[in-house]
Amino acid sequence: MSEIVAPLQAGRAERPASAGLWSRWASGRGIGVLAIILLLSFLTIYPFAMLFYGSLHSTPPGMAGEYNLNGYRQLLSKEALGILLNTVGISLGKTIPSLTLAVFLAWIIARTDTPCRDKLEVLITLPFFIPPILTAMAWAMLGNPQVGLLNQLFKWATGVNYSPINVYSWGGVVWHMVQYSTPFLFLFIVDVFRAMDPALEESSRMCGASRLRTFGGITLMLMLPALTNAFILSFIRGMENFESPLFFGAPAKITVITTEMYNSINHHATPDYQYATAIGFGVMILMFALVIAQWRLLRGRSFTTVTGKGYSPSVMKLGKWRWATFGFCVLFFFITVVLPVSQLFIGSFFRFFGFYQWDMLTLEHYRAVFSSSEIWRAISNTMLLGLGGATLTMALGAVVAYISVRTKWRGRRVIDALAWLPWMMPGMVLGIGFLWAFAMLPGPIPIYGTIWALLLAYLALGTPVATRVMTGAYAQLSFDLEECSRVHGASFFQTLSRILVALAWPSFAVGWVLTFFGIMRELSASVLLYSVGSEVLSVVLMKLWANGLAEQVSVIGLMMMLLVILFRYVQIKILQRYVTTLGV
Amino acid sequence: MASISLQNVSRHFGDFAAVDGVDLEAASGEFVTLLGASGCGKTTTLRMVAGLEQNTGGRIVIDDEVVSDAARGAFMPPEKRRLGMVFQSYAIWPHMTVFDNVAYPLRIRRRPKDEISQRVKLALKLVEMDSFAARPAPALSGGQQQRVAIARALVFEPRVLLLDEPLSNLDARLRTQTGDEFRALQKRLGITSLYVTHDQTEAMALSDRVVVMSKGRILQIGAPEEIYRRPNNRGVAEFFGSPNLIAATARASRPLADGLFSIDVEGDGWSGQCQASEGFSPGTVVSVMLRPENMRISDGDAPAMSWKGEVTASVFRGAQRSLSVKTAAGPLNVDISAFAHPAVGSNITLVADEAAAWAMAT
Ligand SMILES: Nc1ncnc2c1ncn2[C@@H]1O[C@H](COP(=O)(O)OP(=O)(O)O)[C@@H](O)[C@H]1O
Ligand SMILES: [Mg+2]
Repeated sequence: MSEIVAPLQAGRAERPASAGLWSRWASGRGIGVLAIILLLSFLTIYPFAMLFYGSLHSTPPGMAGEYNLNGYRQLLSKEALGILLNTVGISLGKTIPSLTLAVFLAWIIARTDTPCRDKLEVLITLPFFIPPILTAMAWAMLGNPQVGLLNQLFKWATGVNYSPINVYSWGGVVWHMVQYSTPFLFLFIVDVFRAMDPALEESSRMCGASRLRTFGGITLMLMLPALTNAFILSFIRGMENFESPLFFGAPAKITVITTEMYNSINHHATPDYQYATAIGFGVMILMFALVIAQWRLLRGRSFTTVTGKGYSPSVMKLGKWRWATFGFCVLFFFITVVLPVSQLFIGSFFRFFGFYQWDMLTLEHYRAVFSSSEIWRAISNTMLLGLGGATLTMALGAVVAYISVRTKWRGRRVIDALAWLPWMMPGMVLGIGFLWAFAMLPGPIPIYGTIWALLLAYLALGTPVATRVMTGAYAQLSFDLEECSRVHGASFFQTLSRILVALAWPSFAVGWVLTFFGIMRELSASVLLYSVGSEVLSVVLMKLWANGLAEQVSVIGLMMMLLVILFRYVQIKILQRYVTTLGV
Repeated sequence: MASISLQNVSRHFGDFAAVDGVDLEAASGEFVTLLGASGCGKTTTLRMVAGLEQNTGGRIVIDDEVVSDAARGAFMPPEKRRLGMVFQSYAIWPHMTVFDNVAYPLRIRRRPKDEISQRVKLALKLVEMDSFAARPAPALSGGQQQRVAIARALVFEPRVLLLDEPLSNLDARLRTQTGDEFRALQKRLGITSLYVTHDQTEAMALSDRVVVMSKGRILQIGAPEEIYRRPNNRGVAEFFGSPNLIAATARASRPLADGLFSIDVEGDGWSGQCQASEGFSPGTVVSVMLRPENMRISDGDAPAMSWKGEVTASVFRGAQRSLSVKTAAGPLNVDISAFAHPAVGSNITLVADEAAAWAMAT
């Protein structure tokens, strides 16, 4: 007996000491949680609050002024209503065809025996990763009613002196948006198709329903919650879109919310910050309403239909038609990637875009671009922000996801909610919020006008996706792993870093590339927050374009394309090699 | 009700033959079970009958109607075949109520509304789920989902019922009960059923005939008792329980009245008579199957066959006691009454009757 009692007593004697350690550790944890909450609040709540403040403030950020409701009064005007209707109309106008197209493409890839489906999938989703400003410029050159390449080809082929295509139109805006939202929606929907238990459809066939009837009555109905979700998401993204209406809408006097905000700051004799900010605040309220509507609509309506089977036996044999579906996918890739990239390529070698004759061939644009110190500065800024921003964002996302998925700490729900908040903040709105937020900081913190302003904005914009990616990665790891690590005496940070390094790093890398893409393509917040010296590539492209230097734009665009393809390639390799094997 | 006939049916995935030249007849109203280890091609066979998978060789005939003929390239899609199927995962549609799930096949067939509600009620009553009609499908337990799946498969009076391991997702207690209930229902309705399982007790308890499969081929077809008592080969014998298989040499064969043969065999330290489905020429080496429950400890009399040996292990299993005995013919397993308890290390004599010994070609 005494042998057993002795260790027990020893244990008791040690307790106070270990309890002290524990509480010290716990309070350290409390400070850590608090620090993260503060950081996230600074990135989300603070600009949001400043948005409200700014909407009541009659002068631009940092200037003395009075408080009134003029901004909101302007919001209630007839023009503002027209702009809202324009925005909603364009967003609906692009969401419906995109969703249809995405369902069709996802069905081809996930459910038919179309040849080379895995390669086609990579091609179809590529447009999603290209900065929209590049294709916007390329399409502006392709579909220019006077000298656009497509119109020239049409005239040459038919001999008629008529331009069938005019991208500066309602249709042009929608057309450009469709190219982006289709692959975005595709990425959502293809997984829903894949996750569905094929027996759910097969049992319908056994009940006597034809293939078509089964697709309409069972497959689509089962996907309805996911499709609704995708629809609302795509609709929200459409309302936030800046590039398409800026490039194709503005010349045709089609104004949407984002371009109206941009114009009231940049294109008025006296920048009207109060009006722009009031719009921003209004947009936030609208987004809130949409997200809440989405929640209520989908509450309890997500069907888990996941199957454990490795292979999907319900691939439909299309016979000769499989070449038609193959051709359709290739055509989509051709129109959304090959065409604009070729335009950039061609455009970069001719003296003036639109005049494609042999004697116009030149390398002078390459020389101009490579000898421009401003462009080099933008490249280095973008790279710095991309590398640093993606790393910081993913690190923040990794910690936030870890705390919210893998711990039971107090405050984790607050952290999760804060990290998710920017999800519904359009870049333009966040940009204005930060304009005010930085201007209102106490004097000795000079963020406004520096590269830090951009970094913080990118951090805020990227955090929701980073958190989502890491949440998914942790969810696949079993709890035993890390409990085992903790039991064996590893501290929280040791455990986190060990698990991250050992198991979750492929997801981290994939998320990193995604965030990097996000930063490289970002325009709407950057264009508000940059200042001389801290320009990024997308801003420089826009300035060059505004100055009529479409040829130099083509050169830079091509280089960015190469970067996109390289990074996407690396990302796919990592996904294929590590993430899928982890997932199984 | 309908008969099913599979004639030399094969299914290749690339070079791999998942099902390889299967011949099978199921008479009208018969309950036939495909039995075999996981991956032996049972599901693929069933799916070819259903039309969810196309056979790459052979012919499938349902009720004198050729539904698939690989040679002629004829193939009838599943929705035209009028077969009911119960899936392993039940495949109950989660966006519908129980009623809507069961009504679906009738709605597809555009039956009038009151007929639908009448027949759905009837089908749900058959599986004792009539009080759950208004439930949303996700709110059902596994056992209830299985019943709904059966009701949905029966409601449109299909020619044949196909079931793919319908009990494997239920817990052990519910499995036996549900199996027995389903067999009673099947007998009452007299519906031809093709049933897939990897569980030999389930197969024996439910079926009129069992088809034992391995690696895409049929090893043996027969009534459960026949398969259990008189397996064609070692593969089938070993599939049920853990029989003793002893090597022996045939000395003489005599045909018996019931078509079987009586064989004189001689092994290491023993000899005797056993039965077989065929005659063996003298000198042929055969395997003799002795099931543990058919052997006993000699109580003094010494009938035809006996083995002397030492008890090496004794395990109490409640209903019986399992002994391992080391004999000159090799180690033998015996199940005896739990009340007898020969000590480990003691020497005993085991005996078996001619009817309990079954000889097969090795
Ligand atoms: N669509 C398919 N593609 C490739 N192999 C398959 C496919 N379907 C089945 N198989 C293979 O055929 C074999 C038989 O499968 P299955 O009929 O499902 O076996 P069982 O139902 O007896 O467990 C397995 O080895 C399986 O991997
Ligand atoms: Mg199976």
